[in-house]
Amino acid sequence: MSIAELESAELAREPSTGGLWREAWFRLRRNPSAIVGAIFVLTFVVVAIFAPLIAPYPPEEIPVDLPATCCPGPSWEHLFGTNVVGQDTFSRIVYGARLSLVVGVVSVAVGLSIGMLLGAIAGYVGGFVDSVIMRFMDILLAIPGLLLAIGIVALELPIPRLYQIMVAIGVTNIPIFARLLRGSILAQRENDFVLAARAVGVRRRAILFSHILPNALGPVIVQATLALATAIIDVAALGFLGLGPQDPSTPEWGNMLNDAQDYLAAQPLLAVFPGVAIMIAVLGFNLIGDGLREALDPKLRGR
Amino acid sequence: MLRFVVRRLLLLVPILLGLSILVFLWIRALPGGPAEALLGERATAARVAEVRHRYGLDRPIVEQYWEYLKTTASGDLGQSIASRRSITSEIRQRFPATLQLAIVAMIFALGLGLPLGFLAAKWYGSTFDHLSLIGSLIGISIPIFFLAVILKYVFSVKLGWLPSIGQISVTTEMNHPTNFYLLDAIIEWRWDAFWDVTRHLILPAIALGSIPLAIIMRITRAAVLDVQNEDYVRTARAKGLSPQIVDSRHILRNAMLPISTIIGLQTGLLLSGAVLTETVFQYPGIGSWIANAIFNRDYPVIQGGILFLAIVFVIVNLVVDVSYGFLNPRIRLSR
Repeated sequence: MSIAELESAELAREPSTGGLWREAWFRLRRNPSAIVGAIFVLTFVVVAIFAPLIAPYPPEEIPVDLPATCCPGPSWEHLFGTNVVGQDTFSRIVYGARLSLVVGVVSVAVGLSIGMLLGAIAGYVGGFVDSVIMRFMDILLAIPGLLLAIGIVALELPIPRLYQIMVAIGVTNIPIFARLLRGSILAQRENDFVLAARAVGVRRRAILFSHILPNALGPVIVQATLALATAIIDVAALGFLGLGPQDPSTPEWGNMLNDAQDYLAAQPLLAVFPGVAIMIAVLGFNLIGDGLREALDPKLRGR
Repeated sequence: MLRFVVRRLLLLVPILLGLSILVFLWIRALPGGPAEALLGERATAARVAEVRHRYGLDRPIVEQYWEYLKTTASGDLGQSIASRRSITSEIRQRFPATLQLAIVAMIFALGLGLPLGFLAAKWYGSTFDHLSLIGSLIGISIPIFFLAVILKYVFSVKLGWLPSIGQISVTTEMNHPTNFYLLDAIIEWRWDAFWDVTRHLILPAIALGSIPLAIIMRITRAAVLDVQNEDYVRTARAKGLSPQIVDSRHILRNAMLPISTIIGLQTGLLLSGAVLTETVFQYPGIGSWIANAIFNRDYPVIQGGILFLAIVFVIVNLVVDVSYGFLNPRIRLSR
């Protein structure tokens, strides 16, 4: 369990009252580090979406005249220099943002939706179903995330490598969200407003969807933001280990870092640019996640 | 206390069984099936059939699982396709290297993280406090393989202060009674070897220890801030105890509870982080071994390595749970 989980599990136990979201938004806007995080994430997302407009060269284009020496540093033609085959590093970083964002968002979405479904079933149905689901989650949690992802990618499922990476990182996220939501639901179930709803005869499903879930959502949102940060690191880690996209010329940050290792003495900047790109994206999501957690923490309300 | 430990141990059984089923199914789902995975890509059909029969792959799946469970439980994890060596003996040689690296990384993280976190809390709101928070956020956000590459570039390639790869210089010859090279050097009374191994450990340990360092610093700060405002701390100060005694006996000792959990959790995670760090520094531990196996499609090694690390991870978490119950009577007595 990460600190985020520990802390958000704590958060889940606190009863909440109305107006949390508006107040959280207000507090988030006044938190300088959350704003810095938002700027980083916004930059990352804008670069990812408008990659074709921003990148001066196609990311996989290899020029006819190769650079004479490895590897030219920054210049006006190539802002971040080029790699050993003359590909423009800046364009590759820009397109790499696109890949990281898409893979990160999809894999967290996969983990979040399946995890929440399982967690909701476990928490709401309880009993035998709960035990089976949660024991299975324990087993998944027993394997360190990166190793689990490596194992899944090594299976070479009959789908493109990029999808395999999404599945692999998604699966590592399932138990985290399942546990989180189950914990939240168990805590919410005992609340007076649930008891009141049940007393006036509201149906079980309606109680779950309109009373319990909305109140259990805070910690899930915080965790999703932090999970995005981890997912981006994990995608790059897989790429770094040679488990990135099938085509090695695909611009992927981890892959670029791995390639840069061979030319480290000649051009260390080849490693610095993708490394810093990963850091900025990850730091952004971490800062927003932290800010959100503080903003949504009922214990800090009204301060 | 004994009941608590026994209960935790019993909880381990279904997890380990589930893990074995998962890994068993994983082998069956590998591309081309387990026989082809064992033999490599150039296997002939006859050879595949022979191996399928020898390993009982033509028998019912439940029977196969039982066989797999028996051999695995007896410590036989098969042999590597690439090196033809038994996986168990390879683990025996490589795990001490990884464990040694993880321990040194943890010592680095604790030695720096605890005092920094404590001071940040003491000087709450100061520039130092803000800097430490920013530093810890960067520490959590920097991918360890990037940090490792940068450390290697600066301190080995550029400055030439420290060796860039391996666990010991090729020119240093030494017996290895325990395979923990630092320990071996002490037993053999070889200070030159001890120094050599230490120099090889510094950069990987810093890279591997960066995340735990950042997290320990943050948790220590939060825990000390939390405890600092407790009534018993105010009482201790009011009755005139010296600040040092209040710090050590009243604040630090109570703050250690949440810190110790994090230390345990992070120790488990260090083992998987080792895959990346060891790859960069070509450090001959379990992690770089698995990473190479991925590259060579050495499936028995991937399977054995992941199963082994997962079991170690589960056991470390168990030890953490038990020691936490030991430290905190409230946990032990509830439930």
